[in-house]
Amino acid sequence: MDGNKLQSIPKPILYLLLILVTTIPLFADLSVPNKPQDAAIDLYAELMKLEPGSTILIASDWTGSTRGESKGAFRAIMKILMRRGVKVAFYSSADPQAPRVYQDALTELNKEHVAEGGKPYERWSDWVNVGFFPNAEAATNGISQDLKGAFTGRKDFPPGSVPKDVFASPVLEGKEKVEDFKMLLVITASKTSNITVERIYGKTPLAFAVTGVMVPETQVFYQAKQLVGFSGGLKGVLDLETLLETGVNYPDKATAKVKSEKYDTIEGFPGKKNKGQGTKYYPTLHFALAFMILLVVVGNVGMIMSKRQAAAGGAK
Amino acid sequence: MLAQVEVPTFWSEPYNSPALWTKLVVALLIGLAVLVGLMYAPVRARRPIVAVVTFFSGLYWVMLYAWPIPINRQDNQLPNGPVEAVGFWLKDSNSVIVSFTQILTALLFGLGIYSLLRIHLQRIVKTQRDWGFSVVLLACMSLMVFFGYADWNSRLGERGAMLDNPANWGFVNFGRDFLFEGLLQQMDAAMFSVIAFYILSAAYRAFRVRSVEATILLGTALIVILSLMGAVSGLWDDTIRSAANGNTFILNFQLTTIADWIRNTFQTSSLRGISFGVGIGLLAMGLRIWLSLERTGGSA
Amino acid sequence: MAGEQYLDTGWFGMLVTLLLAVFILVNIRRAKGGKDLFIRRIAGLNAIDEAIGRATEMGRPVLMVPGLSDTVNAIAVQAINIFAYVSRIAARFANPILICCYNAAVYTLAQEVIRDVYQQEGLADRYDQDSVRFVSDRQFAFAAGVSGLILREQTAATFFMGEFYAESLIFAETANSIGSIQVASSTEATQTPFFIAACDYVLIGDEFYAASAYLTRQPVLVGSLIGQDWGKMMIMVLLTLGTIVNSFTLTREVTSEKVDGVFNTIPARKAKLDDSPFNQLIKPSKPKITVERPIDPTKAAPAAGGGN
Repeated sequence: MDGNKLQSIPKPILYLLLILVTTIPLFADLSVPNKPQDAAIDLYAELMKLEPGSTILIASDWTGSTRGESKGAFRAIMKILMRRGVKVAFYSSADPQAPRVYQDALTELNKEHVAEGGKPYERWSDWVNVGFFPNAEAATNGISQDLKGAFTGRKDFPPGSVPKDVFASPVLEGKEKVEDFKMLLVITASKTSNITVERIYGKTPLAFAVTGVMVPETQVFYQAKQLVGFSGGLKGVLDLETLLETGVNYPDKATAKVKSEKYDTIEGFPGKKNKGQGTKYYPTLHFALAFMILLVVVGNVGMIMSKRQAAAGGAK
Repeated sequence: MLAQVEVPTFWSEPYNSPALWTKLVVALLIGLAVLVGLMYAPVRARRPIVAVVTFFSGLYWVMLYAWPIPINRQDNQLPNGPVEAVGFWLKDSNSVIVSFTQILTALLFGLGIYSLLRIHLQRIVKTQRDWGFSVVLLACMSLMVFFGYADWNSRLGERGAMLDNPANWGFVNFGRDFLFEGLLQQMDAAMFSVIAFYILSAAYRAFRVRSVEATILLGTALIVILSLMGAVSGLWDDTIRSAANGNTFILNFQLTTIADWIRNTFQTSSLRGISFGVGIGLLAMGLRIWLSLERTGGSA
Repeated sequence: MAGEQYLDTGWFGMLVTLLLAVFILVNIRRAKGGKDLFIRRIAGLNAIDEAIGRATEMGRPVLMVPGLSDTVNAIAVQAINIFAYVSRIAARFANPILICCYNAAVYTLAQEVIRDVYQQEGLADRYDQDSVRFVSDRQFAFAAGVSGLILREQTAATFFMGEFYAESLIFAETANSIGSIQVASSTEATQTPFFIAACDYVLIGDEFYAASAYLTRQPVLVGSLIGQDWGKMMIMVLLTLGTIVNSFTLTREVTSEKVDGVFNTIPARKAKLDDSPFNQLIKPSKPKITVERPIDPTKAAPAAGGGN
């Protein structure tokens, strides 16, 4: 066999094979064993610690492009918050499309939440949309220094009314500064995570849900204890969905599916609709990664064969 | 309720009030006058003017970082002495200055739109190569602006919250949804997913065991990738755990443990090293811009 | 002059920042004073002339992208500085250039700088104002637009410098597919591996900031670069000291701990990292201080409580 051919498989063929490898598993009901990572367990534990009726800030900085990962993380996190009755003030400083995207996702989630018997998660009384802030650096600095000043003038809709100042909503009642929120959770596919650590760390607990490619840089913050937890990429989404189903050391340490020395029992939500994008897409990621490993091996075998063939040719 | 106590500032006139409009017009006139003044300023004077404006603009942010912020300040308190007064002023000015930067961003966006219109209208008028693409671009842009604005406008009134439910939508809302959700979001996702193909072809081309360093790189990548594959890492780790039989040394050879070690030692420390370098470089660049030590563009 | 600022970060953080600034300014002064300062060779930057030369031979344009900064920040300015050098060389060879901007403010700056470059070279008539263009401020619309330009214009050399995100690989692979020579640098560490996999030359980390000093040898830039190196050496010393002090602390037992800025006596326990004097220097525990101030009669009193 010609080593050069193995090294230069035409791109259209590679791409076609990738389409097949990533598409076919979507039609099969496959499940992959999963052991949640510490960062995701920490995030789940922190979210489950929030008291019903308390308020957190969410910077939802993702759009349609990264919905494969970010929407899964958003949905898993919001399921926890909706089921526990935690209030949320949403804003975005990464992309003007983001507010529309998270509002649409919330409408969808609320419908599912009500369908499984939950109390409706209402705009204005349970969550409020503070909207988009251009210039992430300046906006985040503004929120850090003077949240009230930064949010002043922002309006959202009380039921059946004209838009009103967001500070009049029950969600932001009594909130003046970023320290007044129990947590700032950044769901992002951009550098707003870095900016948030630079500007807000130390004022309120920080947690992130980032895309797979951002995991290495987020790990740095997590290791330095600047984050209380994070969910990274599709693996993070799968971890959260797994934890929603199993909890941690739940129902007890002996029989728990997910165990952790760090925590006592943290409840899960068995019996509810916990599975989502993570569970559905993770097998696909498996096959794609395996295919990539296979191609790298083929390329290297081709290179070694070419070298041997060249050496043999030279010797003749 | 403190949430409803507005701190009156120069800018906090009621929405749509004559006083606010007057201030807007006066500000616009002053802005135009400054602009004309700058255009007619002698060429030699322009550089010092830019340097002074840059210095004072930067000075605010430097002071915001360096000046002591008053402790436990309440909104209804007055400062104790001049140091605190400056601290109060810096904090109170923040939201106004952030608004300035946002307004400037929006203004400059207009210049970007002008560039797009000029290039593409010219191409259409002169029927240059690929002028058809320019027609598509301008048509899409106009449609998006129209439906985006109309949809936003329709949500301003009492019906605003009702429009969260698609059953209450009108033509413009459906139009916006079709363009935004139906087209833009999908095209965004499509472009992003193209990366998967490029990662594959780049990995296939670049990951070769050409040298010792490349082999180490490949081996490390392989361990991290395999650790992300639950089926593989689960099987591997179970095998190691049963083989270890309580031996903590052997447990270190679990795939997830090796991957965590790579992440927590090599990866984070090298990323921190790069971040230190980039951070100091950024500080140096910021200092040179702030103090106008360097002429942008330089010379070869 | 106590304030929250110093309670949050400690005087030590301020001192380190100040020292970094002083190192840079002192070295700029040294370089301006005629001191001959050495900078090591950076392979990626030597490739710039080669790339432009190749584009000239092929008679095809040079394409530059100053990253996806969402405003004119130091990164965008640095990218434009490098592109000013590239444009200057291209102008001398009458080579067409294309600069694609993601942000309107960066576009405005790039246009001014590049026009200046052509004027300084006495080649104002060669400057095409459409060579600097705003493409889109939507990430993937921009990626699609720039990729389209690379393919249509068949660029011979491409330069990607500045803040890049997920689109980095789209650009690099598209340019690679047409055999364009590529020099790239992203200040985002996450994207650097993608550039390394797909581009011919990559500037890693702060080599991006060293670029203009290396290319132009302006004393201000060279001095600043040396100052940066002093800063890095200081950080290395601090890291080493920190490691030694923290490691030593962890081997000991403590009988007091600092809470709210005050040392309390406690039963002996194994030391934690927070007990290390070095950690306390960088991240001091905040004392609880209440400051009495006069009340402004024109403002309402704040409500009790606040958070949940």
